Amino acid sequence: MERSQIEELVYRSCLALDDRDFKGFLALCDAAFRYKVTVYSPEIRKEMVWLDHDRAGMETLFTNLPRHNSDHAPLVRHATVYTVKMNGTSAEVVSALQVFRTQLDGGATELFGVARLIDTVKLDGGAPKLASRVVRMETRQLGFGSHIPF
Amino acid sequence: MAKTAADWNAPPKFPASHYVDSRIYTDQQIFAEEMDKLFKPSWIIACHESEIVNAFDYRLFTHPTGVPLILVRGDDMKVRSFYNICPHRGNTILYDPAGNAKRMTCIFHQWSFDARGNCIDISRAEQGYQDRFCKEDAGLREVKCDIGFGGFVWVNLDDSCAPLKDYIGGAMDILSPYMVEPMEVFHFNRAIVETNYKLWHDTNSEFYHDFVHYFNRITGMMQPGYYERKYTAFPNGHATVGSMNIQYDKYEGSKERSVGWPGLAPGGWYMVDLFPGMTYNLRTSVLRIDTAIPLGPNKVAIEFRGLGLKSDTPQQRAQRIFDHNTIWGPFGRNLHEDLLAVHGQGRAMREGTDSRYVIHGREENSTIHDEVGMRHFYAEWSRRMGRAAYDPMREGRREPARAAA
Repeated sequence: MERSQIEELVYRSCLALDDRDFKGFLALCDAAFRYKVTVYSPEIRKEMVWLDHDRAGMETLFTNLPRHNSDHAPLVRHATVYTVKMNGTSAEVVSALQVFRTQLDGGATELFGVARLIDTVKLDGGAPKLASRVVRMETRQLGFGSHIPF
Repeated sequence: MAKTAADWNAPPKFPASHYVDSRIYTDQQIFAEEMDKLFKPSWIIACHESEIVNAFDYRLFTHPTGVPLILVRGDDMKVRSFYNICPHRGNTILYDPAGNAKRMTCIFHQWSFDARGNCIDISRAEQGYQDRFCKEDAGLREVKCDIGFGGFVWVNLDDSCAPLKDYIGGAMDILSPYMVEPMEVFHFNRAIVETNYKLWHDTNSEFYHDFVHYFNRITGMMQPGYYERKYTAFPNGHATVGSMNIQYDKYEGSKERSVGWPGLAPGGWYMVDLFPGMTYNLRTSVLRIDTAIPLGPNKVAIEFRGLGLKSDTPQQRAQRIFDHNTIWGPFGRNLHEDLLAVHGQGRAMREGTDSRYVIHGREENSTIHDEVGMRHFYAEWSRRMGRAAYDPMREGRREPARAAA
């Protein structure tokens, strides 16, 4: 497996979420996919989990979105793959992530959050698949928040 | 029928207790008065005791009036609160939001203080101050501090304030049976939203807005018992909301909460709104605490805490965190909707938009869609402010006695 294929998987996952193509995102994920958002709070001096879903949970999260009232401003993910550590049938991939939000009215763009993506990529199939993603948040103040995870 | 300017500016056809003038959300002078008359003399939740467990553990808290505070556990295990302001040159003493500091030393000139507020070292004191000034003259400003109602650390800037238990009165009686076991904070985040702090507290004080929450409509509003939940008003502007059995499994992909809360019926959910901007929200398996910290007439920081039991097994804690995040986490279903709604209010009611009145007119025998919770809050607001919420620019005009009806 070429490193470029793994990098492209990370970038395609960001593009799919940017486009709210949730089926497309899940198509990049393994059947045993797990997604977590974690963050450290210096205020309470504790590791926190802000979201933790298996693949079915992510599907439900996406399926239920139209039933909820959400901010419609698009999010754009800007990822840079820093390291790829291949280990036979899997790879550990660490990427830097910046998420920008663009207001619908006027188009002003603001930085919404910064994080690190820590992906485990499955390599033993025909194409690389996301086996797990940990979004390690740095930003903890998200204004009115978001229904769509990073 | 759409309204003309005259119609728009005419008071709503309700008793004066049933609407407010939206200038209470935008006026800078009113905001300044609120800090002095409401927040300064009120007991405010600063943190939870589980955030400062050990001797010399400290936590910083910016009081709603803007005063920077240190909450620190002393060598005698007592929690005290002090201004985080060096009495020498006004510098910040502690910078990190939490930590452990046997000596609290100002980085500027190395003056040091202990956890009882005593100054214990002044650099080159004798050379500079001779016998004119010494450590005993340089103590920290101590602030009233108490622990109670579930192990929360409360502060009050008014040295002559009434005790915390008197301020709360009977408002926490509804939750007291569930506050017996020691608790622990597992979640903290702060949201800053361009809206008035009262609009956030309003959202916690009325359930009519359940229409914004798909989750609450499906699991609550459409289920038996929802319309029997009742509001009860208490002195000092506090109010409580009775429980029901939330049907979590009605939400697609959700299921009945497997971890409950000692003594609480399955699916139970109580709320207590405390004047002027705090809410206890005990929902089946998690306690959420909101503390509103106004930053300006149209800007508020809301501190959210999620708590479980100190005795939780790792599995129980993980389930509580999952339950919390499903609706109340920064990516949860309900929190984003609530914050989006009050952001929209702030946008529509900011200064200059010609917003005029906000209606609190629903009367349903104090049940869940009755707006008595907000009316009760604004009756207390008017009493303390010396201004009627329905006509705030005419000072000295008070809310009618029927306000809390």
